[in-house]
Amino acid sequence: MNVQATAETYESYVERLPEGAAKLDIRNLDFYYGKSKALHGVSTGFGEKQITALIGPSGCGKSTLLRTLNRIYALYPGQRAEGEIVFDGVNILEGKQDLAALRARIGMVFQKPTPFPMSIYDNVAYGVRLYEKLGRADLDGRVEESLRKAALWDEVKDKLHTSGQGLSGGQQQRLCVARGVAVRPEVILLDEPASALDPISTAKLEETLLELKADHTIVIVTHNLGQAARISDYTGFMFLGRLIEFTTTEQLFTNPRGKRTQDYVTGRFG
Amino acid sequence: MKSQVLIARRKASNVAFVGFCWIATAIALFALAAILVSLVKEGIGGMNLHVFTMDTPAPGSPGGLRNAIVGSIMMCAIAMLIAVTIGVLAGTWLAEYAGDGKYGKVVRFVNDVLLSAPSILIGLAIYQLLVAPLHGFSGFAGSVALALLAAPVVTRTTEDVLKLQPPALREAGVALGSPLASTIRRVLWRAAQTGILTGGLLAFARISGETAPLLFTALNNQFFSWNMTKPMANLPTVIFNFALSAQDDWQRLAWAGAMIIAFAVLAINIIARTLARENRQS
Repeated sequence: MNVQATAETYESYVERLPEGAAKLDIRNLDFYYGKSKALHGVSTGFGEKQITALIGPSGCGKSTLLRTLNRIYALYPGQRAEGEIVFDGVNILEGKQDLAALRARIGMVFQKPTPFPMSIYDNVAYGVRLYEKLGRADLDGRVEESLRKAALWDEVKDKLHTSGQGLSGGQQQRLCVARGVAVRPEVILLDEPASALDPISTAKLEETLLELKADHTIVIVTHNLGQAARISDYTGFMFLGRLIEFTTTEQLFTNPRGKRTQDYVTGRFG
Repeated sequence: MKSQVLIARRKASNVAFVGFCWIATAIALFALAAILVSLVKEGIGGMNLHVFTMDTPAPGSPGGLRNAIVGSIMMCAIAMLIAVTIGVLAGTWLAEYAGDGKYGKVVRFVNDVLLSAPSILIGLAIYQLLVAPLHGFSGFAGSVALALLAAPVVTRTTEDVLKLQPPALREAGVALGSPLASTIRRVLWRAAQTGILTGGLLAFARISGETAPLLFTALNNQFFSWNMTKPMANLPTVIFNFALSAQDDWQRLAWAGAMIIAFAVLAINIIARTLARENRQS
């Protein structure tokens, strides 16, 4: 347990995971959009085969934190991260990384569904074809398996070769999950994946995530506190670019230590 | 009351403004209709099967426009091949890689200048660069001049449609472990394909009626020819020459040629618009 009050008025109640439990270990992470600093010394870990939720008011840095984990921010010159993100013993911020290979191991699902302009089948097969040379039957199998995992198979099995953009919003988002799962990543990052979905689609997506937990480490950014409480094992509360509190979801929602955390989870601000 | 005066005044100025818009639109449409009517009226007279099966005649003998039609199609096709290759790649670079860098800004500015450059200047430039050093007018030189006119249009539309694609689409491709270059080729180009195609068709429509750049490059040819290294017949130059002549048959052929170009451009525009509309709906 590492409870400390920093020199500023930001208290920090970050519980460290036990040694070796973290799939991704973050140490002293700072992040900059050009000159403006968006993350201030974030240290935490995301447990293997667990769901970790990141919550906090808009602009608090949760999406920024998520976007450092697969280094998607590197697409934009001017954005940079300092510190350490240790993934399987390697600091992925350091040295020459094969970013494409890294991103094949750490998948991402975005806020808005992003089906590619191609058939449902080709959407799911897209990432697989990049890294594996599967025969027709094997590829068919992988597509089916991925769509089943994303709880979409029954709805699309008869129209696999129609455009992925013709699906409903909720189906499109599950298609994106299937596409991400198909490359068998170790980690799946989700950036407010349900914010554009209706309650039924959201419930389906949450079920999907709980099933995916068996094989994948999941980090999800969400504005929906109920969602964080329902599906996550650990929850981090962020505020103004700092990780204020990080502990088990149960603890954070029933007995938060920080005043700000308490105000946020009880709905007094944010 | 004061406010009623104000409202009355606004209503009056509104009526006046809409009225002026109506008149301006009517003038523009009238001019267009006048052109089309005279084109069809005069063009129909010269139109017959011989226009497509016979070559440009000597004065007084029967003939058609076959060599000019084929020449125009060949030069435009090769020009578009060059323009689309350069334009799509340059537009992609501007949209995806140039960012706010200085070089990108310069390229974008120069492209905009080329976009509005007088076509006769392009013709003169190609004359200096290709025709004079090689001692001869040629279909290829004509194609290059036309390509130079079309490429900026394709570059600009490609950049614009790629920038319209949501950033999340690009990120989603990259997040799957696909390098940016293959994400662009396999996802973004596909998402933008109707837009790019529309831009290409509009560029094609623009160059198909250009005369000035061909006067200095392809010149003209009275005979049928597939040889792109020699002067080549083309519709705009034939129209120019025949329309100015005193021969009645030649003038009729010029009208027929003008009608062919006008309706080809019209058809291309309709196709481009239909494609654009379908793209919006999907």
